[in-house]
Amino acid sequence: MGKQVLTTCPYCGSGCQLYLNVENGKIVSSTPANGRTNEGNLCLKGHYGWDYLNDPQILTKRLTKPQIRKNGVLEEVEWDEAINYTAKRLNEIKEKYGPDSIMGTGCARGSGNEANFVMQKFMRAAVGTNNIDHCARVCHAPSVAGLQYSLGSGAMSISIPEIEDTKLLFVIGYNPAESHPIVARRIVKAKQKGAKIIVADPRITETARISDMHLQLKGGSNLALVQAMGNVIIAEGMVDQKFVDDHTLGYEEYKKTVEKYTPEYVESICHLPAETIRQAAREYAKAERAAILWGMGVCQFGQAVDVVKGLASLALLTGNFGGPSMGVGPVRGQNNVQGGCDMGALPNCYSGYQNVTDDAAREKFEKAWGVKLPKENGIPLTQVPHHVLDVKDEKKKLHAYYIFGEDPGQSDPDLNEMREALDKLDFVVMQDIYMNKTGLKADVILPATAWGEHDGVYSSADRGFQRIRKAVEPKGDLKTDWEIICLVSTAMGYPMSYKNTKEIWDEMRSLTPSFFGATYEKIEELGCVQWPCRDESMEDKGTPYLHKGGIFAHPNGKANFFATEWRAPGEIEDVEYPYTLSTVREVGHYSVRTMTGNCRTLTNLEDEPGWIQMSPEDCEKLNLKQGELIRVNSRRGSVMTRVMPTERVKTGATYMTYQWWIGACNELTVPYLDPVSNTPESKYCAINLEKIDDQAWAEKQVKDSYESIRKNMGIDAAEKGCRI
Amino acid sequence: MNYFVKGNPDLCIGCRTCMIGCVVAHEGVKIFQMKPGEYVFNPKLDIIKTATITMPVQCKHCENPACMNVCAVGAIQMIDNAVMVLQDKCIGCKTCMIACPYGAINMVVSSDGKKQLDGSERVVANKCDLCTGIDGGPACIRVCPTAALKLVTEEDVETSVSNKRTAAAISLAQVKEY
Repeated sequence: MGKQVLTTCPYCGSGCQLYLNVENGKIVSSTPANGRTNEGNLCLKGHYGWDYLNDPQILTKRLTKPQIRKNGVLEEVEWDEAINYTAKRLNEIKEKYGPDSIMGTGCARGSGNEANFVMQKFMRAAVGTNNIDHCARVCHAPSVAGLQYSLGSGAMSISIPEIEDTKLLFVIGYNPAESHPIVARRIVKAKQKGAKIIVADPRITETARISDMHLQLKGGSNLALVQAMGNVIIAEGMVDQKFVDDHTLGYEEYKKTVEKYTPEYVESICHLPAETIRQAAREYAKAERAAILWGMGVCQFGQAVDVVKGLASLALLTGNFGGPSMGVGPVRGQNNVQGGCDMGALPNCYSGYQNVTDDAAREKFEKAWGVKLPKENGIPLTQVPHHVLDVKDEKKKLHAYYIFGEDPGQSDPDLNEMREALDKLDFVVMQDIYMNKTGLKADVILPATAWGEHDGVYSSADRGFQRIRKAVEPKGDLKTDWEIICLVSTAMGYPMSYKNTKEIWDEMRSLTPSFFGATYEKIEELGCVQWPCRDESMEDKGTPYLHKGGIFAHPNGKANFFATEWRAPGEIEDVEYPYTLSTVREVGHYSVRTMTGNCRTLTNLEDEPGWIQMSPEDCEKLNLKQGELIRVNSRRGSVMTRVMPTERVKTGATYMTYQWWIGACNELTVPYLDPVSNTPESKYCAINLEKIDDQAWAEKQVKDSYESIRKNMGIDAAEKGCRI
Repeated sequence: MNYFVKGNPDLCIGCRTCMIGCVVAHEGVKIFQMKPGEYVFNPKLDIIKTATITMPVQCKHCENPACMNVCAVGAIQMIDNAVMVLQDKCIGCKTCMIACPYGAINMVVSSDGKKQLDGSERVVANKCDLCTGIDGGPACIRVCPTAALKLVTEEDVETSVSNKRTAAAISLAQVKEY
């Protein structure tokens, strides 16, 4: 007998609704559902990305039993042993070095909001530290920090469906066709409905291709461009002065700082003609309502928070807040990276962005959880290597790392350094669904259920709480993430237990005023509830757009302007490393590929070792042909990948998708961080390119590397072969 | 008149969902239960990207098909408004692939599992068949998230021609005799 289960797609923050079609306990296909954001459409990941649940063992293998490293080798054990061992080791380390010697992660992927809430509660209440963070740190942390400062709320102010009804879209450092096809659909629709589109991106992206204006700026020059646009809007008298006077602070200072950022001044920084910048600023300022969308091309720079504040300032200058189809849209990458932040898997706040340094908030959580909570902000994710490798005082060092649903051994910058840190840590716990590179360094492996095997709530990129539902029974000796964390917590002496995810959600709501009204019943009834939603009654249906009427989320209701000096990227190309490298996304793959790398048709379309996009001129200069294997070197590492000549990139610039294990571009990237958000500069580092004369040898190297990865990941049968 | 699927570069975002949709429609959802090397992955359309264009390219189902005219063994035939490759008859001579001006034909390992007499793989011509015989019609159209693909039928062409002629009449009427 077949059944259909309605759920939320586990890839990207678009929050698409789909039905999983289940026969004989197995998922056989998916069907698009009429969700708020996807309206009966899915991209390739939504259509075919559920396949990893059938464990075809293409890249890695599903974890099915707890494991403990004994004499250097991971051995399967029973749950009791794994839980007690984990609790004992964590307690020992806590006793010896203090609670701040332990770090934990949240999970922006399949686990769901409830598991994240339980994890941050565990770290804060059971371990006693605010050392919890998750991969929002390596993506939209600058948006959260920047918008929190500017507007008082770090999320998208606009809703995904509203995008198609705006009059002008300014898309900067964001390639929705690759990262959110279902958001790209709204942009295509906006264009069809007559909206003007301005794109600022060093590459000709799909959006740039259909844009009215493409500002093909030099990588790393975002702030100069954004402030020059502000300069033009002020100089040409296009400021919405009433909005600025009534709703903002800091305008005079902003005006002073951007004064020198004339289009002529930034011409040489941005590699754009001054007149083009003027025209873009005029178009943006005169649009009846305009929205700004951005992604990693803004965030993954050493100067990211400043650019976010700069973009918010543009919207403030022109009064583009207060109604639908306007404002700002930092479009969150992973399916639940918004949720990880919402639930407080961050070193500085509890659920609903309540600061750990705020005495009233902390006392509320202390009372509810019956324990004293730490007052100081914790360590951000990207500072983990520093706190393991560089800090000398044993009491201030990190000694243990509880990694829940993340793979820092693949996703973080400068992987050599990260791996060294994982080696040096006294104790590493890995809780995941698939074996991954972090697992190779783990002392304990706790196998969890995956999306499709458990219930919960995800937060879409535009603040929408939506249900995920269990469709199939997990195969193996698995537990849900929140159950595992509760067991470890209880074994450590801080008992936690819940009957189901609803019970966790209700506890979270009771402590989080801005989410209080989003009950399971309401989410069930409406399909989606966008926060803030403060009242439990059905009258409060949530909030499609933020800052209604120009009332901002700061206590005084005002927004803040901000401008500062532009800084060049941290590592500039030179004679030895003459090309720049930026990491980008592969549309059919996701994150570290433990999920999509184990989906048959998605790997048929693209597989290891991935590509490096280069201009045809550079290819000609280096005598490189399409598909040829090439060596890419930076000061930190060296990897092999395939050459993809494309007219869509400028000479001197190269792009690699970060999903690959063999062509792993994070072996090359630089751990140069934004000083406020600690986000790495994945979009800019210097590399050189080395032609490989013996292509047959190179092909064999790639094939052998793939085989060895599969063997390391525990895949027993090598006979399946890999099509590379 | 033969039908054909037309891609719209103003709507296409190059995500290639259509290419997988094509394979799944032709091979069936059974591939999700098979070992990764045991089925063939032969999309019958391709997404082409230049500096300014992104769009799917596939068989136009020509009225006077070059591929059909050059096929020496009659493996390409016009059946029910579509130009079809009969893979059973195909000898893999590649002449149709060379003849097609749209590059809509490529050579692939046959998906029916049939082998040559010596047990080696059969290589045959592969091209869009408009999902003839598949429920719901062309899969590429059905799965596309931006509605960038459209089936063009005789009626569409007639309406389009008739609309264009009306528009032409209106504009021509404004031109004075000279």
